[in-house]
Amino acid sequence: MAQPLVKKDDDRDDEADYSPFLGIEKGAVLQEARVFNDPQLDPRRCSQVITKLLYLLNQGETFTKVEATEVFFAVTKLFQSKDIGLRRMVYVMIKEISPSADEVVIIVTSSLMKDMTSKTDMYRANAIRVLCRITDGTLLTQIERYLKQAIVDKNPVVASAALVSGIHLLQTNPEIVKRWSNEVQEAVQSRAALVQFHALALLHQIRQNDRLAVNKLVSSLTKGSVRSPLAQCLLIRYSNQVIRESANTQAGDRPFYDFLEGCLRHKAEMVIFEAARAITEINGVTSRELTPAITVLQLFLSSSKPVLRFAAVRTLNKVAMTHPMAVTNCNIDMESLISDQNRSIATLAITTLLKTGNESSVDRLMKQITNFMSDIADEFKIVVVEAIRLLCLKFPLKHRALMNFLSNILREEGGFEYKKAIVDSIVILIRDIPEAKETGLLHLCEFIEDCEFTYLCTQILHFLGIEGPKTSDPSKYIRYIYNRVHLENATVRAAAVSTLAKFGAMVDTLKPRIFVLLRRCLFDNDDEVRDRATLYLNTLGGDGAVVQTGDDVKEFLFGSLDIPLVNLENSLKNYEPSEESFDINSVPREVKTQPLAEKKAPGKKPTDLGAPLAGPPSTADAYEKLLSSTPEFASFGKLFKSSAPVELTEAETEYAVNVVKHIFDAHAVFQYNCTNTIPEQLLENATVIVDASEAEEFAEVASKPLRSLPYDSPGQTFVAFEKPEGIPAVGKFSNMLRFIVKEVDPSTGEAEDDGVEDEYQLEDLEIVAADYMLKVGVSNFRNAWESMGADCERVDEYGLGPRESLAEAVNAVINLLGMQPCEGTEVVPKNSRSHTCLLSGVYICNVKVLVRLQFGLDGPKDVAMKLAVRSEDEAVSDAIHEIVASG
Amino acid sequence: MILAVLFANSEGNILVERFNGVPAEERLHWRSFLVKLGAENLKGVKNEELLVASHKSVYIVYTVLGDVSVYVVGKDAYDELALAEVIFVITSAVKDVCGKLPTERLFLDKYGRICLTLDEIIWQGYLENTDKDRIRRLVRLKPPTEF
Repeated sequence: MAQPLVKKDDDRDDEADYSPFLGIEKGAVLQEARVFNDPQLDPRRCSQVITKLLYLLNQGETFTKVEATEVFFAVTKLFQSKDIGLRRMVYVMIKEISPSADEVVIIVTSSLMKDMTSKTDMYRANAIRVLCRITDGTLLTQIERYLKQAIVDKNPVVASAALVSGIHLLQTNPEIVKRWSNEVQEAVQSRAALVQFHALALLHQIRQNDRLAVNKLVSSLTKGSVRSPLAQCLLIRYSNQVIRESANTQAGDRPFYDFLEGCLRHKAEMVIFEAARAITEINGVTSRELTPAITVLQLFLSSSKPVLRFAAVRTLNKVAMTHPMAVTNCNIDMESLISDQNRSIATLAITTLLKTGNESSVDRLMKQITNFMSDIADEFKIVVVEAIRLLCLKFPLKHRALMNFLSNILREEGGFEYKKAIVDSIVILIRDIPEAKETGLLHLCEFIEDCEFTYLCTQILHFLGIEGPKTSDPSKYIRYIYNRVHLENATVRAAAVSTLAKFGAMVDTLKPRIFVLLRRCLFDNDDEVRDRATLYLNTLGGDGAVVQTGDDVKEFLFGSLDIPLVNLENSLKNYEPSEESFDINSVPREVKTQPLAEKKAPGKKPTDLGAPLAGPPSTADAYEKLLSSTPEFASFGKLFKSSAPVELTEAETEYAVNVVKHIFDAHAVFQYNCTNTIPEQLLENATVIVDASEAEEFAEVASKPLRSLPYDSPGQTFVAFEKPEGIPAVGKFSNMLRFIVKEVDPSTGEAEDDGVEDEYQLEDLEIVAADYMLKVGVSNFRNAWESMGADCERVDEYGLGPRESLAEAVNAVINLLGMQPCEGTEVVPKNSRSHTCLLSGVYICNVKVLVRLQFGLDGPKDVAMKLAVRSEDEAVSDAIHEIVASG
Repeated sequence: MILAVLFANSEGNILVERFNGVPAEERLHWRSFLVKLGAENLKGVKNEELLVASHKSVYIVYTVLGDVSVYVVGKDAYDELALAEVIFVITSAVKDVCGKLPTERLFLDKYGRICLTLDEIIWQGYLENTDKDRIRRLVRLKPPTEF
């Protein structure tokens, strides 16, 4: 008895393992497709072959053009069969394999046209879908009549097929589909839920650029009944769009808010959620408007459906960024989500809690997060680490708990990105919270004792070299650093040697002991490590005695090269070993003009260890050095201000030129940064010819040409002007770049001997009043304002005329004056009708200036401004008013 | 837009993969990303219990159905809730085709019909039909009952 049973089981296993597509091969299936050409079609066999073809396609297999065309032709033969099942397969197959060539497609259109006008509804629906998939503009015009009829067909499947086809065709033939508006409008009123859904989507797409029409569409539908929840969701989205667009024009009553609020009581969860989210996304939503939405989202937080929980917590997470207080009520529900099985939900819950939590809840929260961290993936952990960093900056008093948390997770397993995120966070906290410095540094020291990432190790060593010597007991870090010399690879060892040298330079009492350690490094088996040790031993000097290190040595160790590394790298690559040694002064100092797109990227606070730690000098310092080292300008005295670079050429032109305006007491220097973007050209003797006829108070005194401007290696040319001393003279300058151009052979890179003189017109440049104002902030504006006194105060009112918005007006005045906004007052809250902005700065001849601007909306768009200026010199206060009056 | 619908067996081998508006060079990346996501999270998950994830502005809803796992990827209008609706339609229609929760073998046996079913549910990235009974009739070229 047992035997047959076993056998049966075996059979069944075999059957279960056996795939009908086992060993399937494209070539063989294409051979099999020949059955499509049989005079006596076998529908079952043909369906099987089509299934195999679909299987191949669904596995990502691709067919060559020849193969696709062959299959396509063969499949069209199957229209001869009356078998319904096969016909349905044929429709799918044609859509999947249809070649794009018109002459091929034409083969099948007549069969499809026949099906499209067939009495069998289902043939019609499918033929419409297939035709729309393979059609072009000409064919579409031919079948347009049928499609319009189909849109209002009684059979919902036919109508939906035509409507969804319309959505696709709108991308390729918008002018034709737009003609179907009336029919689509009729379909929107259909009793069939799905037809209404598809019609609404198409109608909105047809009218999306006509604000009034969308408004009308939404108005009429919100009053009537929309049948399907899907369509209702679309309607909510469209009404939200109307609200957004009308926000600028209408104040007070918010259109469609009542509709959205009503949807919160809909029976479909999808609709409730969509309405809640729409409300949270309203510009300048009030707490009262927000409350009902938050309430339903809170209910969703404890839903049994993960998708609803995710959607709710994702929305609340966004709300927490703008209205953290509104989300606080959900904190308890959110805390229970920390243990949610779905890690995306748990991470969103934690990051939301970190945004909304208050100081007292931090410890409890950290406890919960600790349990959670061990079982999530690195990418989630990084999100949490970043949220914790922000929390710590928000509540600096909690630095101990948060720093401990970071150091604990630093010890656990994790990939490079995760560890880097933690280290970056600790570094930022050390930098921003002085009390956290020593513990933070020790955590980093412990980390490098067992760190597998060379990059992180070297970066931390570099950071230690800068921050460690400034602590109360620098000696305690030495052990960690010197251990690296014994235990790590050459890169880390070299970094450790540099760090030791920095301690030696900064802490005189440690110097003798550092010398001992550095001497030991002289026997390292790596060249770089030995070289560094030798260099530092010689540089630090004093032969290891407790003596003060000279400023020049400190500058050498801590200062930067003042040269963009990219330029240095390029110059070194171009340098050919010869008798003449490499001259670091020959490296261009100007950073290459970046493409516009890159510049527009939103400014991100540098979190990378490398950049901020290298301690690059401020741009102002770099300019000052550059100008004072140029003999022509050395006598101009102290540099007062350098402007941001002003582009004088369009993006992607042959030569990219921008200019920096340097203002001195009695001089102005224009620094033209030029880049040659043509590989086949070498420019020589480039100079800018400046016409200052519209700047009467300026007289050209010097011009420094650029000797050579090879491809992609930026260089500078300068023009200097004399101007009345201490006077904020303004004017307009027109510029022409003049140079000798030489052809370069791209294969050898050598330039021809003879060149041709050429000119290139640049944009005009202006010196404006703001160029004489330094942006210098004050920490407490009120104190500064009161201590300045009202002696030199000047107050006046101005009408700024119609403006796009209050924020735009505020920005315009800030830019006009070129002063530093204080206490975040440059940000204008949305929908506000009045605003006060506080500015501070230093005017030429070092006169401190404070400005209080009060803006108000006068009528719908007109902006009025009251300007109060206090300064140390009444002439300067008057000058500020003049700037505004003439601006 | 529904960017992708993907079916895989319990070992992560692809059974059906349909992309809409995803460049060919990104498809492989998506495939391995989804399979990895499933391998990490679908163990022990009940049939048809939905899991959800997001990657930048793209949403992913996925689940287990018998021996196969199902993934739906969408963006813009097709956010997590819309995708939950889509995957619900897909799983109920596939169950309907197979007559029960599919084993891998059953799924492959019904492969042709499943392709037709998917064709009725999603057309080039848009949800077209949502009712399993109607879909069952449509793949047989029969008009919907309510008509």
